Amino acid sequence: MDILQVKNLTKRFGPADSGFLAVDNVSFSLKEGEILGLLGPNGAGKTTTIQMLLGVLTPTAGDIFYFGKNLKTAREEILTEINFSLTDVNLPWDLTVKENLTFLSYLYQIDDRKKRLNKLIDIFNLYQLLDLQIQDLSAGQRTRVNLAKAFINFPRVLLLDEPTASLDPDIANYIRQFILNERKQFKVSLIFTSHNMAEVEEICDRVIFINKGKIIADDTPENLARTIEISHLTLLVKDGLKRTIEECQKNQLLYRLEGRYIIVDLKERQIPNFLKTLIDRGVFYDEIAIDKPSLEDYFLEVAKRKK
Amino acid sequence: MKINRIYAMVLRYFYYFRHSLDRMSDAFYWPTVDLLLWGLTSAYFKQYTPLNSKVILMIVSGILLWIVVWRGQYEITVNLLEEIWNRNLINLFGSPLKFSEWIVTVLIVGIIKAFLSLGFAIIIAFLLYRVKIFYLGFYFLPFIFLLIITGWWVGFLVAGVILRFGTKVQTFAWTAIMIIAPFSAIYYPLSVLPPWAQKVAAFVPTSYVFEGARKLLNQGKVDYLDLIFSFILNIIYLLLALVFLRQSYKKVLNKGLIKVF
Repeated sequence: MDILQVKNLTKRFGPADSGFLAVDNVSFSLKEGEILGLLGPNGAGKTTTIQMLLGVLTPTAGDIFYFGKNLKTAREEILTEINFSLTDVNLPWDLTVKENLTFLSYLYQIDDRKKRLNKLIDIFNLYQLLDLQIQDLSAGQRTRVNLAKAFINFPRVLLLDEPTASLDPDIANYIRQFILNERKQFKVSLIFTSHNMAEVEEICDRVIFINKGKIIADDTPENLARTIEISHLTLLVKDGLKRTIEECQKNQLLYRLEGRYIIVDLKERQIPNFLKTLIDRGVFYDEIAIDKPSLEDYFLEVAKRKK
Repeated sequence: MKINRIYAMVLRYFYYFRHSLDRMSDAFYWPTVDLLLWGLTSAYFKQYTPLNSKVILMIVSGILLWIVVWRGQYEITVNLLEEIWNRNLINLFGSPLKFSEWIVTVLIVGIIKAFLSLGFAIIIAFLLYRVKIFYLGFYFLPFIFLLIITGWWVGFLVAGVILRFGTKVQTFAWTAIMIIAPFSAIYYPLSVLPPWAQKVAAFVPTSYVFEGARKLLNQGKVDYLDLIFSFILNIIYLLLALVFLRQSYKKVLNKGLIKVF
């Protein structure tokens, strides 16, 4: 069941003839319990799309339906059941963590406020921070409070913009596991943006790639990565580095040297022949690693196309 | 309109008030400074006026009543600025909170704080000068009501301008109300104003209120015609200001609330 449907969403800033088209006729959907990655280079239209999904930016054209209801006409009802955490947005700086969560619990009309707040304080480990003002928190602590805010109303749909940025790796991992668990337990649907491609690959079921305001890809992270043919072959050359470089140049392969390692970019099917040629030329290597294309490669490829 | 959301926002602004030295001084320090400076100045001038002169009463009551106008507009504009400075607008309007609920919140907070500041200033005025502005009791309530409405429409007008142009015009939050101050005849009778300014004052609702308040203090009677004129002007301006604010909000949603920062 589609919990979110975006139909022909368009946003143009400025006049119709000369303005800037930030989002161009975008359509996609989100299923119940699905985690959807929204990726794209800076300025691609991600933030504009998210703002429209939250109703804080009016689309030039198109419609957004949550739970089958149009955001234009059922704003209040919809926003009660969704929530978000955005990097450019802060909670009031002068208020303490406890005060922020308290006023938000009234804003979202949480039934058993005390129980819910205690649960969130526990999940995001906020005990030590409760009486501190937001302005006195570190970036990572602020992220945890923002996430507590995002989960305060048992949202059915969550929009998380870089939720693990500025968190320590162990806490980031804990948050990822928490998100996955919430999805499993409560069928929460998520739209997720991140610059950490490994993280996107780990938690997103599907990825939408936006570039220049248009969706250029909509698939699983694995399938998107597969569209990139180039793999990275890493060799620790014991003898014959010069010959290896000559072979790369002869076959017009991109390579780079990192200490004693040479990393060669080539298509997966070229690897056996390339290695055979090196052996034939008397090259000896101690270590070998083949990195298959990842979502990051796909991202880099798209960014290159953008330039 | 949902009570829980309005209550949440009232709570948010009172938490903020509790922590902010700026807002504390706005509420208590500046009214005290005004009362000290203007009260002492009028006490000095009283020596050169007839024995039964009410110069201190006139000046101090002007200060006290102006607090009502100022607080009314200030709460609207500064609370909006506070959300902009905190980058919290999207947290609020990306929640179920309606714009109309935010407006009701700042009106409630404005009324509470106006009475808080006014109550404090009345005590100071009594302690310093033995001035009892409210010895006429409930007669003053309509005056206060009209002054609050003036504060509201000026506040809405300035809030609309801030929404459209962002923090680069934030100075209006402190200065805009002062545009009507000279024409309001807060401390002096309208007749002191030059003829052209008197014509302008005829369109300023507070001029009728302060003139009426002086009549009340001097003659002990209420000129209802003054109050009616002020009320009609206030309601017209309030409706226009609300339409302007609503349009400004719609406009800002077109360019994105995030751009207001």
